[in-house]
Amino acid sequence: MLKNITVSCAPHISQPLSTRRVMVDVIIGLVPAIVAAGYYFRIYALILIPTCVISAVATEWLCNLIRKKPNPLESLGDFSAVVTGIILALSLPPGLPIWTAVIGSAFAIAVGKMVFGGLGANIFNPAMVGRAFLTACFGVLMTTWTVPATIDTTMPKIAADNKVHARTQATPLAWSKQAIKTKKGAHAVNAQFKSTFTGEIGGCLGETSALALFIGGLYLIVKRTINPHIPLAVLISTVVFANIGSMINPNAYIRPMSHLCSGGMLLCVFFIATDPVTAPLTIKGMWIFGIGVGTITMLIRIVGEYPEGVMYAILLMNAVTPLIDRFCKLVPAGGEPNV
Amino acid sequence: MLNMKINTKGRFTFPGGTHPPQSKDLTAESKIQPVPVGKQVAVMLSQHIGAVCQPLVRQGNMVQAGQKIGDCDAFVCAPVHSPITGKVKEIALRSHAVLGRSLAIVIDAYAYNPTKRPCPGFKDDLDENNYSAEQICNAVRQAGIVGMGGAGFPTRVKIEPNPRLPKETLIINGCECEPYITSDYRIMLEWTNQIIAGTKLARKASGCSKVFIGIEDNKPEAIEVMNTALKTHANNDDIKVVPVRTKYPQGGERQLIKAILKKDVPTGGIPPMIGVVALNVATVAAIAEAVVFDSPLTHRVVTVTGEAIANPGNFYVPIGTSVEELIEFCGGVTQKSAKVILGGPMMGIAIADLKTPITKTTNAVTVLTKKQIGRAKFARRQTPCIRCGRCLEVCPENLNPTKIAHAVKNNLLDVAENYYISGCMECGCCSYVCPANIELTGYIKTGKIFLAEQKKKKPE
Repeated sequence: MLKNITVSCAPHISQPLSTRRVMVDVIIGLVPAIVAAGYYFRIYALILIPTCVISAVATEWLCNLIRKKPNPLESLGDFSAVVTGIILALSLPPGLPIWTAVIGSAFAIAVGKMVFGGLGANIFNPAMVGRAFLTACFGVLMTTWTVPATIDTTMPKIAADNKVHARTQATPLAWSKQAIKTKKGAHAVNAQFKSTFTGEIGGCLGETSALALFIGGLYLIVKRTINPHIPLAVLISTVVFANIGSMINPNAYIRPMSHLCSGGMLLCVFFIATDPVTAPLTIKGMWIFGIGVGTITMLIRIVGEYPEGVMYAILLMNAVTPLIDRFCKLVPAGGEPNV
Repeated sequence: MLNMKINTKGRFTFPGGTHPPQSKDLTAESKIQPVPVGKQVAVMLSQHIGAVCQPLVRQGNMVQAGQKIGDCDAFVCAPVHSPITGKVKEIALRSHAVLGRSLAIVIDAYAYNPTKRPCPGFKDDLDENNYSAEQICNAVRQAGIVGMGGAGFPTRVKIEPNPRLPKETLIINGCECEPYITSDYRIMLEWTNQIIAGTKLARKASGCSKVFIGIEDNKPEAIEVMNTALKTHANNDDIKVVPVRTKYPQGGERQLIKAILKKDVPTGGIPPMIGVVALNVATVAAIAEAVVFDSPLTHRVVTVTGEAIANPGNFYVPIGTSVEELIEFCGGVTQKSAKVILGGPMMGIAIADLKTPITKTTNAVTVLTKKQIGRAKFARRQTPCIRCGRCLEVCPENLNPTKIAHAVKNNLLDVAENYYISGCMECGCCSYVCPANIELTGYIKTGKIFLAEQKKKKPE
């Protein structure tokens, strides 16, 4: 007969799903973007992504040591630091020096996540915190864009060793900013659409290839790792604002599709804005959050001084997420109880 | 009879919910078998929601099978009866699945105790007009019938006409959304006429005009059998079988009402507030037996199942039989360590004492294997909530489980209350889906207990 009887609270069965599985899914979703980065930026991607991942994981371990966790390696098992590392790497300029990337990842994990208490407690998306820090500290390095290796550069061979170094190039959003200032030239940016779609253009490591990001995002939505509310809200609000701009003056403002495919927009839509920890919980809240991100991004891109505004839009909306959650309190299915 | 094609595909459902593995194959084909009387039964004095019964017998008294042995004058109460002929050994505390320890009348069986078989003679021609509403209500009260789906609310209180809350729709619940359990399914297949008779009697007693029988579409045979039985009589036209989508917790009273009528029962309220009475199929079968044959509720169908049971099946069990005896009757368990659950794996209660008696609300005994226990939430390491929102997505009551659970964890009961902790019906969906292995349902249940204690301390 029975010797050991286990007693616990219902339910007694559970779905085979873990936080690690969720994070692994996000990493799988990022694979196309990593592959695209590797294809276009070759050695830069090969260095930058592992650097960021390793320093992010190491920082988390160090923080756990400092916090005197009984098992400092335990929290590394959920792979959230890996995800942060990859996303940060993908949002950095390819030619960034290694030491800068290490500082950025360490800051992202230590100040972006661990000071709040680790996974689940952070207010801001750690990767964006790290990127904002780097932008503030190393402005020039953070805006020097390497040309993809696949572009046949007609650059004269400077170095004596006859190696061709990829030269730098402005991003489509920088040209777009120029177009806004000079009120002409938006069409030239629009004409670059094919390059911005495939990723054969200057920009951050993982941001350039809209196609790869789109495939990864679709995977996450199909796998139900993320739900489509936030991506939809961001995309729709972006398209609306871009449309308004290009209707007012098609010479000065680029088309909506160019806005969507350039800069960090798609990386943000599928991987950063959907970070569950820093996004609202309710569907209504997700729409407010998404529309907020899209709107602020477009305001910065069209009206503001910076060519790119995704990072600030995310951080600003992260800050108001608790407020949104409070505002969008769910009403039970049966309505307010009348006590 | 028109041989019309019966639609067994359910279109109706409620928002939220989840899809745990069904695991019903273990017992779905097993016919209801009567279980012989053991040496002893322990009939709980509290098997329902409401006032606890007072014993009507004393130590040493002789009792007959079907004799009333406990009752009380309260309105919300149902008497208890002895399922066997024997001698009262003692009135003592026994383990109770919900109440911890509770008083039970322990009866030693006499040597001759015929095994009671499921009610035989129900034809499809019962005329409910032979009985008055009052007669039916009295018979239900005297037979001690309570909601047999799990909650155990005295049925008489539910069906009796109430001038303040007029009833118009009767919903018969044949969903059985819990994994593993097949007792209702077998009742629907084997006692079809009895269920229809009970449904008609309940309709008569409650004065409802519309009747729906909700059955999940993973039981197409049950839907067909019920439909065919209903069609043989013309006066059954206003009883409709509604196939509903297979989803947990479709069998929840509020969820079934939502699926069929598209109406929400008010939070913290009861179905009569929107003119609905919901009864389980096992309950209506008991009503039919009580009204037509005057026989009290002393036996019920229990599914004994789970991967750790040697011979799982559906059994007609004397109420008061201990879980241990029942498991032994099924050939015992195949493992040394296991988890014994009264009910199904989603909402059932794991018991520590195998002497716990079967009550009127025990629809299943599920025994899970050691391997399954290892895969359960509590056995895995809890990680921080990543606010993924899966618990909000599946919550059938549209609550915010993670907010409530974390409020309870941090002892912020007012926050928990503010997020409608009382609206939770503890279906377990949130815990089931949580990727961080947080026992959300457990926290919420604990919070409810704390709140009840707090209210007891300072009455306003």
